[in-house]
Amino acid sequence: MGSIEGIMTGFQTAFSLEGIMFVMIGVLVGTFIGMLPGLGPISAIAVMIPITFGMDPSTGLIMMAGVYYGAVFGGSTSSILLNAPGISGTVATSFDGYPMAQQGKAGKALAIAAIASFTGGTVSVVLLMIMAPALASVAISFGPPAYFGLMLLGLTAIASLSEGSTTKALISAVVGFMAVTIGIDPQTGTQRFTFGNANLFEGIDFLVIALGLFAIAEVGKLIIARHDDSLSDKRNVGSLKITKEELKDMRGPMSRQSFVGFFLGVLPGAGATIASFIGYIMEKKIAKKPEEFGKGSVKGLTAPETANNAATSGAFVPLLSLGIPGSGTTAVLLGAFLVLGVQPGPLLMVERPEIFWGIIASMYLGNIVLLVLNLPLIPYISKILNIPRPLLIALVIMFSMIGVYAISFSTFDLYMLVLFGVLGFLMRLFAFPAPPFILAFILGGMLEQSFRQSLSISNGNFMIFLESPISLTLIILSVLSFIFPLLKLRKKKA
Amino acid sequence: MKKFLSLLLLAVVALFAVACSGEGGSEESAEGESADSGEGSGGEESAESWEPSEPIEIVAPAGAGGGYDTTARMAMQTFSEEGIIEEDMGVTNKVGGGGAVGWSYIADQAGSNHHLFVTSPPFLLVPLNGQSEYNYEDFTPIANMIADYPAFAVAEDAEWNDLNELFEDMKEDPASVTVVGTSSPGSMDHIAFAYVAKAAGVDITQIKYVSAQDGEGVTQILNGSADVFSTGIAETAEQARAGNMRVLGVTSEERLEGETLGQFPTVKEQGIDAELVNWRGFFGPPDMDQAAVDYYVEKFEELSNSEGFADVRAQFGWNEMYMAPEEYQEYLDAQNEEFQSILDELGLGQSE
Repeated sequence: MGSIEGIMTGFQTAFSLEGIMFVMIGVLVGTFIGMLPGLGPISAIAVMIPITFGMDPSTGLIMMAGVYYGAVFGGSTSSILLNAPGISGTVATSFDGYPMAQQGKAGKALAIAAIASFTGGTVSVVLLMIMAPALASVAISFGPPAYFGLMLLGLTAIASLSEGSTTKALISAVVGFMAVTIGIDPQTGTQRFTFGNANLFEGIDFLVIALGLFAIAEVGKLIIARHDDSLSDKRNVGSLKITKEELKDMRGPMSRQSFVGFFLGVLPGAGATIASFIGYIMEKKIAKKPEEFGKGSVKGLTAPETANNAATSGAFVPLLSLGIPGSGTTAVLLGAFLVLGVQPGPLLMVERPEIFWGIIASMYLGNIVLLVLNLPLIPYISKILNIPRPLLIALVIMFSMIGVYAISFSTFDLYMLVLFGVLGFLMRLFAFPAPPFILAFILGGMLEQSFRQSLSISNGNFMIFLESPISLTLIILSVLSFIFPLLKLRKKKA
Repeated sequence: MKKFLSLLLLAVVALFAVACSGEGGSEESAEGESADSGEGSGGEESAESWEPSEPIEIVAPAGAGGGYDTTARMAMQTFSEEGIIEEDMGVTNKVGGGGAVGWSYIADQAGSNHHLFVTSPPFLLVPLNGQSEYNYEDFTPIANMIADYPAFAVAEDAEWNDLNELFEDMKEDPASVTVVGTSSPGSMDHIAFAYVAKAAGVDITQIKYVSAQDGEGVTQILNGSADVFSTGIAETAEQARAGNMRVLGVTSEERLEGETLGQFPTVKEQGIDAELVNWRGFFGPPDMDQAAVDYYVEKFEELSNSEGFADVRAQFGWNEMYMAPEEYQEYLDAQNEEFQSILDELGLGQSE
């Protein structure tokens, strides 16, 4: 009925001259800010909010949406080139993207990331358009026990995120769990490990840890290895061309992760970061040659890049159709809606179809613009690697500090960045893998909170985790995913 | 050369981004103190009138997009649109500790005349919980601006038709009902519900309260994980209008205005004698000069009476609630005592 009409109105809004112009401005600003290490969609949206004052709500929001997914699109650049994640959703991108760039294939890595982002973004917009109204019920289908199951499933991947010693991976994960408990516990209001320091009340920001463990630790390694000439001849950017085999490698992860990422994005609280990790792990588990992951695998780069962009579109489902902001970023975006006098919620689609469908329709255009914009820029952007190393190191440190400072404008976070940089460097020195730490840090908070929320609701009865079909399924999957590798190992030995 | 150019471009964009999002970062505060002391020693004339001499920083002690942040940004925008304050203003978000991080930042700006911050009931509750080393008595009251109200909502198909039915069930078995809110226990959403439940005769020490972030509260009500959503009116209005939720009670004295809001029954009309305002106003750092306080009081009064701000109130569903410093202070003293006794009863108070 009105749906088709609404979609038509949406396209009219998005493809008007103004609409096209502001989509382009939005994605341009978003992708540039996203490219900078540490600066992500939140900073990008915050910068743009004052610009929207007095604008027509539909064009203003089309632009803000563009800033958001543009920043996620651009976020992969610094992960790949500098091992300095621009946003939390691209931490997993650096696992294979950075090694690839180190092997002299930076251009190719950026091209793969751009194509994967484009595919993830576009497929998920189609899904969004077809299913947004129906998906509202999916978005609210997860209660606390189901979230607990999902986080548990994610955790079973810790072992697969490590090379070599599983014991060291587990130690790394446990430290990650410990780090995430710092701050005021939401369920009781009790301070945990804050030492009365107000700067620790909110806990440690994810980006501080990601930039510390990855970017700053890498800088440490580069400084130690400064006399190692073998690294310097690999500095060429390489060709952008993707071979047929590589394209074939990309196809599987792209088609699967577009869907997986989108559905994880639809769940409030899961979002792009968790989607990118789950996408990465899933592809590694089903890959024929999982040993290539972490060493510059095409699949390992494609999976998280597809998933995080797909999840970004997915996050618009709860925001537009229910008025639920599923993450810190969408909460800021919700603020931008309110400033323009638009209240996202169940009635938005009916009452303001030009906004609801206009935003969705504009995403088609936005993704094309992003691809067209990013591909030709790759040769120039990847020349960053040709910068003399001392200068490059200084720049990485500077940008990491800017990014961290922009989170809360607190100098305390800069000390934390250095602290985690040193920790990350020592972990490398003693071969403790950093990804399990990061994964535990991402999943740990929600794992604990949903576990305790569930038990509060059930008055302490553990059966609540087995009563809902979703959580039961997820818990069974977790158990299987834990036992399966053990069985495989046994067979091999026998 | 090209690479340097592109790098330079990146650097410029980055600096621009940071400068914009942090309008009025801390570097101003350092300059601020010297400028202030210069003016403070100016003698009689500065005691009579004071004008801002540099950008004013408004601190929202929470993240972008929340109630504190919206109030700060809309006040800032209207100040300049209506030409009430010509000087540049910027909003800084200091996230953490239910506000404690922001208050500790403001306490460090003691004596500055170019810092302001937004306040609301957690400004009393969080210190009473023992989560902040500073409380409202450490800062300089300027003006209260608006009133917002807590609301309690249930899913459309819930078994309770009004608050009395809910509280009857809770009197029998408090643990059978799960209350969800965004704040941590002992802060706004929890205390608002406890405050009303107490007036209805429920044993508030037995209330089962779950804290859920990132909009999860709405989710938990809609999928039936939790029963009662304790939140603000704005968070419930859209869901109520769409027929997903029913508002059992709001804590305003009289019914609110508006098509949707007017349908929400008040707690009072259901025979429960409880009223609670989610007031929002502005405070300054400790030891702000009296002349500066007078300047801001006058400006905020003008803002409150302006047409531009009336539109803002209508847009966000806020009520006018202007209070000058003395009245504001007395109001807070009274409310602080009330909160103290509730928190003590819940065993969350940190009475000295």
